[in-house]
Amino acid sequence: MKTIIGLEIHVQLNTDSKLFCECPVDYGHQEPNTNICPICAGQIGAKPQSINKKALENGLRIAKILVCKEVLNQDIYFQRKHYFYPDLPSGYQRTSKPIATEGKLGNIGIWEVHLEEDPGRYELRKGIVDYNRSGIPLAEIVTAPDLRSPLEAKEFLERLERYLRYFDLISNEVGNMRVDANISLEGGKRVEIKNINSFSNVEDALNFEIKRQITQIEQGIEIVQETRHFDENSGITIRMRKKETADDYRYVPDPDILPIVIDERLLRESQATIEELPDQRTQRLAEKYGIESSDARVMVIEREFADIFEEISKTKQIQPQKLANWMRGPLRKQLNYRSKKTSESGLRIDEIRELYEMFEKGEISDSAADQILISLLDGESTTQTRKIRQIAEERGLLKNANKEEIRKICEDAIRENEKSVADYKSGKEKALFFIVGKIMQKTKGAADAKEIEALLKSKITEKDNQEKIKK
Amino acid sequence: MFIEKIEKTLERIRRDDPKIGAFIEVYEAEAKERAKKLDERLRAGRKLGKLGGKIFSIKNNIAIKGKKMTCGSKMLEQYVAPYSATVVERIEAEDGIIIGSTNLDEFACGSDNTKSAFFKTLNPLDHEYVPGGSSGGSAASVAADFAEISLGSDTGGSIRAPASFCGVCSIKPTYGLVSRYGLGDLAMSFDQIGPIAKNTADLQSTLGVITGRDEKDQTTTVEKDWQKDEIGDKKIKIAVAEEFLEGLDPKIADLFEELRQKLTEAGHRIDKVSIPSLKYAIPIYYLAVFAEFSSAMQKYDGLRYGNVGEVEELVESVAKIRGEKFTSEVKRRIMLGTFITTKEYQDAWYGKTLKARAKLRSDINSVLSLYDVLLGPTMSSLPWKIGQKNENPLEMYLADILTVPANLAGIPAGSVPYGKIGKFRPGFQIQAARFKDQKVLKLMRTIEELDSK
Repeated sequence: MKTIIGLEIHVQLNTDSKLFCECPVDYGHQEPNTNICPICAGQIGAKPQSINKKALENGLRIAKILVCKEVLNQDIYFQRKHYFYPDLPSGYQRTSKPIATEGKLGNIGIWEVHLEEDPGRYELRKGIVDYNRSGIPLAEIVTAPDLRSPLEAKEFLERLERYLRYFDLISNEVGNMRVDANISLEGGKRVEIKNINSFSNVEDALNFEIKRQITQIEQGIEIVQETRHFDENSGITIRMRKKETADDYRYVPDPDILPIVIDERLLRESQATIEELPDQRTQRLAEKYGIESSDARVMVIEREFADIFEEISKTKQIQPQKLANWMRGPLRKQLNYRSKKTSESGLRIDEIRELYEMFEKGEISDSAADQILISLLDGESTTQTRKIRQIAEERGLLKNANKEEIRKICEDAIRENEKSVADYKSGKEKALFFIVGKIMQKTKGAADAKEIEALLKSKITEKDNQEKIKK
Repeated sequence: MFIEKIEKTLERIRRDDPKIGAFIEVYEAEAKERAKKLDERLRAGRKLGKLGGKIFSIKNNIAIKGKKMTCGSKMLEQYVAPYSATVVERIEAEDGIIIGSTNLDEFACGSDNTKSAFFKTLNPLDHEYVPGGSSGGSAASVAADFAEISLGSDTGGSIRAPASFCGVCSIKPTYGLVSRYGLGDLAMSFDQIGPIAKNTADLQSTLGVITGRDEKDQTTTVEKDWQKDEIGDKKIKIAVAEEFLEGLDPKIADLFEELRQKLTEAGHRIDKVSIPSLKYAIPIYYLAVFAEFSSAMQKYDGLRYGNVGEVEELVESVAKIRGEKFTSEVKRRIMLGTFITTKEYQDAWYGKTLKARAKLRSDINSVLSLYDVLLGPTMSSLPWKIGQKNENPLEMYLADILTVPANLAGIPAGSVPYGKIGKFRPGFQIQAARFKDQKVLKLMRTIEELDSK
């Protein structure tokens, strides 16, 4: 039986303030009801301010990514969608008519993109309402029913998210993409699963729903049009309401909001930054620089990250594949560990270039490179480009500078750890690593573990030979 | 000395207001404090703002930070505004003294102020009669000398009707000229805040302060030249729509004829015109207002406003609070407004209403493109006795027939008293094209002068 799936995706747009007021959009880490004002708390007599321009611009950027036709030079009204729920301070949600229609992402059609405001958050069990989220700008993306399997739906969402992240259009909050999934089996009625908060849950909910519907059909029970809720803990969908009793939202144009008009200039200005799409860039990086596709893909996680890769790859004597390995490994690890975007990390291309070159030439060890990176990321931010060589010198992380010293430390270590040396000589390879660890501690990582290992081996052999000669 | 003026006014309020019922709350301490400060500033030789020492009362559907904002409803009996309306901020910035908040029909839904959920306001000119509504407390506070100027709100005549019944002046400015930020909603595309006062000079000075672009109300517009006196020494071109004169109280009709003659004698041109679509003003107005009102009332679900007590679940809470805390007029409007905006009926009712509104607006505008102003009576009758129009809501709605067109068209409309019938001084209404508020005030001043002769 053919499976027909369409998605409605609510994306929290990356902005500094809410859609109709100046409150900050940070809600995940704030005390409840601190980022609110009379407007987003729907106080009596408060009116929405003019629409947040950045939200509209980001909406138009999404339209471009999804190859939509923008609704140009005509009044686009915000409507009031009425329903009662504790998280909705005015009893209606403000939601625009489409700003763009008829697009596609890959071979999946996009019906429309429109803007709306996020409601607050309601914790049913505690009976607590937090309006910090109320009024945060959302774009709703509605796909055509072109998806044919739960896996395809999940992959579509992952791709969409990759694109939105790449162009920095989406907020950083948990729950920044929420999905309503519509599913029907060929010839059957449509069932909507509302407000699913992760992509794997989308896949799970749809898989469950297919099984449920097939079982029903086999039992001769008719599928009814209804709205269901996915329960994450039990992994099943539960009926919320049947369509017969579904809400009538009584959409009316909001008299407090002037209609938006998108003209060519606004379109040009907001969409200028959207050129090469991430998948195109991945392909180009792989071909042009001869790196693995999987590495190219990681480079393109963020636009600024890929920019760094391309910029440094232009430097002579740098092998792009090696650079990609290092960026994908140590650099990405430090950024991810801090959940920092490259753009907000404070790192500059010149700093990364110098650091990488020193590492690549063997002037510093990989752990020294890590240390410098950490100090750049966690240190005080500065407007000047920091000199990596200077930092390395100050911290005694340059390899050549202390080769003599390390040799001496190795000799000392052999003397101080007689038992381990003996163990090693009797064939226990691991005993050597114990000594390597000690030396690494002593040199605070300036030394290269591999080099120390080699040095120790040769020293032990040397010592052995000398002793043999003495005998 | 402002403090003496305030003391005297407070004394008058203490003596007379228990009977009249103009105020919901009197801000005695704050008003005195402010008056003292203004006196000190004068003694220090410093200048005061444009409204220095003027005593204001404010309709209690306009937010004043830290003060109860009841909107005349049990639903908001305990609600304290967490911020001030833009108009309040502007008046305070220009050194006006706010003496109290005034009574109104619940959520401004009414034409005679008998629909306040708390108490009825009486007409200061004759206590057996209604003061008009919904800004009845505001007009009464000015007529009874409790305040020099009052701010009311006008959705379909709520400033002009009580001004006419209480024998004072008022103007509903062009929609978009005065910020609505902080005004409790009735119907958002109609509501406008405006002043009520004993003379047009006070209306003019108040407008000078409260108008202008406000970022917090995006429907406010910048209209640079709206303060310009375009007519100057020229005679005024006046149109009278014959539809204004249908079903008029004969005594008011006689007074209007007298006014017409005097204006003609003074050299102004008065032509009779016809605007047939005015017949439909009442149904168009009420349908559109009900639709917007039902949306505005959506926030009252028992969770944030009004104490509903223990309930099991949401639907029950909404039903219970609305059942208990709203009076029948508000419920009627919510139900009708909800009905005409449902998916099933929206095209047939609301869609047609919006089209009819556009047609009426263009008919009025085409007359106002030929004339400076439209002139007619403000109300087709004198004030009625309290309780007289309580039975039939339609009868009450029809009382607004002359005032609603200005809100449907978003144009300015003022009411100025002329002559006397018994204890009452009926108002006459002047309307002009959008942003031609100065033309309205011009003819109001002319009539004010004729009346004082």
